[in-house]
Amino acid sequence: MRPGFTSVLMAVLLLLGATRVAAQAPAPPRASDTRPNLQGIWQVLNTAAWDIQDHSARLGVPAGQGVVVGNEIPYLPAALAKKRQNFETRATADPETKGFLPGVPRIMYMPFPFQIFQTRDEVVMVFEYDRGVRNIYTNGTPHPRGPLNWWMGDSRGRWEGNTLVVDVVYFTDETWLDRAGNFHSEALHLVERYTPAGPDHINYEVTVEDPNVFARPWTMRMVFYRRKEPNVRVLEYDPGRLMDEANASR
Amino acid sequence: MLLRNSGLVIALAVVAGATLAAQEAATPAPVGGCPPEPAAFHKCALEKAKAFTPPRTPTGKPDLQGYWRGRLSQAFSVEGVFGNEPLVGSLVMPWEKAPPMIVDPPDRKIPYQPWAVPIGRIGVNHNQYLDPRTACGSAGVPRLALQDADQILQPDGDGYIVWLFEDHHSQRVIAMDARPPLGADIKVTNGDSRGRWEGNTLVIDSRNFNGYNWFDDSGNFYTDAAHIVERLTMIDRDTIHYEVRVEDPKVYTRPWTLVWALVREKEAGFELLEEACREGERDRERLLQTGIKYYFGDPWRGR
Repeated sequence: MRPGFTSVLMAVLLLLGATRVAAQAPAPPRASDTRPNLQGIWQVLNTAAWDIQDHSARLGVPAGQGVVVGNEIPYLPAALAKKRQNFETRATADPETKGFLPGVPRIMYMPFPFQIFQTRDEVVMVFEYDRGVRNIYTNGTPHPRGPLNWWMGDSRGRWEGNTLVVDVVYFTDETWLDRAGNFHSEALHLVERYTPAGPDHINYEVTVEDPNVFARPWTMRMVFYRRKEPNVRVLEYDPGRLMDEANASR
Repeated sequence: MLLRNSGLVIALAVVAGATLAAQEAATPAPVGGCPPEPAAFHKCALEKAKAFTPPRTPTGKPDLQGYWRGRLSQAFSVEGVFGNEPLVGSLVMPWEKAPPMIVDPPDRKIPYQPWAVPIGRIGVNHNQYLDPRTACGSAGVPRLALQDADQILQPDGDGYIVWLFEDHHSQRVIAMDARPPLGADIKVTNGDSRGRWEGNTLVIDSRNFNGYNWFDDSGNFYTDAAHIVERLTMIDRDTIHYEVRVEDPKVYTRPWTLVWALVREKEAGFELLEEACREGERDRERLLQTGIKYYFGDPWRGR
């Protein structure tokens, strides 16, 4: 990691973004309390749902440039063996194949839209995939007393300038990070950063920390794109019910 | 049949929440200063609403935000529980007597077309199909609002109202922006909802239901032709009069109306908790082995 270089790069990118915004488009609309406005329907345009790392095409899987900064995930030795085993058995071992909640951050880069809402006290995310919901409290409240095991974790957010910073804890060890078997334990701790980059893009960065699985924290970066179709809506993909319907005896 | 019913009862007991609603319905205390019986509450609440000025959001809309729980509602049957139903007296999870939540028509029964009576009224649905809520789907509209806790949010910009439900992490996004409705070929569990303000009342107009949901544990039902109009009106700071008009030409002879109350949850620091369902569920496979089937609208399909 080169934090100095990274921050300089980010600053340059932000400046470029700001210049472009000032020159070409009205400033992103702000929420009534003057905090940045992340509201809208968003979706990734990447292949992280299949594999968060660089990967060649496989049947049914588009080739993709990874979203992991530096591409390497610093697995501990035993965890790396488990990741490889997960990959081999992914057709049945992936919790996605059971119709379960995909967890965070995986739900953020599923190939489905999600909608962000803001109120005085919360940022709420509603996902097309599995009726997912995230309540991100921005009212200064701390994480509740643990231990807790939640599929989507507990999210507490704060604003740092234009960036929404979200601390997420209290996971289960039953969700994966992608369809390639990348995984974590219940000790997973995420720090997410949502930074508007003009009116129609959000730069999303998530730092992943889990001492049971990784030797050190590591980071993913990607862009959320605003869905601009005039009548776009978040619809519904309820994987569990769809699996049951496909298997229902009639 | 006995075995099948007890299996179903155990599953329902695990899902819980239902008993709480029933116990609350049995308490004689007034709700929002109105009598604790749905029809009497309905009449009284509409009068009270005329004299009440609700709190406002910064942009001047009635402020319905906060955490709410259904009251005067129970999970067993929107037509009420009178004592001769099969599960009254059950040792595992007895149904309790309760008045109907239906306020119109005057006989307070769902105006089913004749073919639908033996399906919906503790009939084919109840006896042969797995309650879609037990199968970990969304409980659907309006059943979501009678179970467990929920949260109404009015996000910045007034373009949407978000209604979140603890029950199986369900959510509804109600568009207040007057854009066109979804195409008729898109069906979703909780319907496609458009909202508007009529005075101090939030009116939610929903269509595009897939018809895979029930009103209650009895199996009372609607189809994919349902059109549901909900009206939420505050009658004091902590009580909402909740009225639901249901229209479905495939299955009823006329529109009909349900009423109950939403009462503010005032516990300090209250938040919705994650209720994963399918992720920890253990009973479905055993229930299916007894011959009971998943409910995906088969009893009404083709009508």
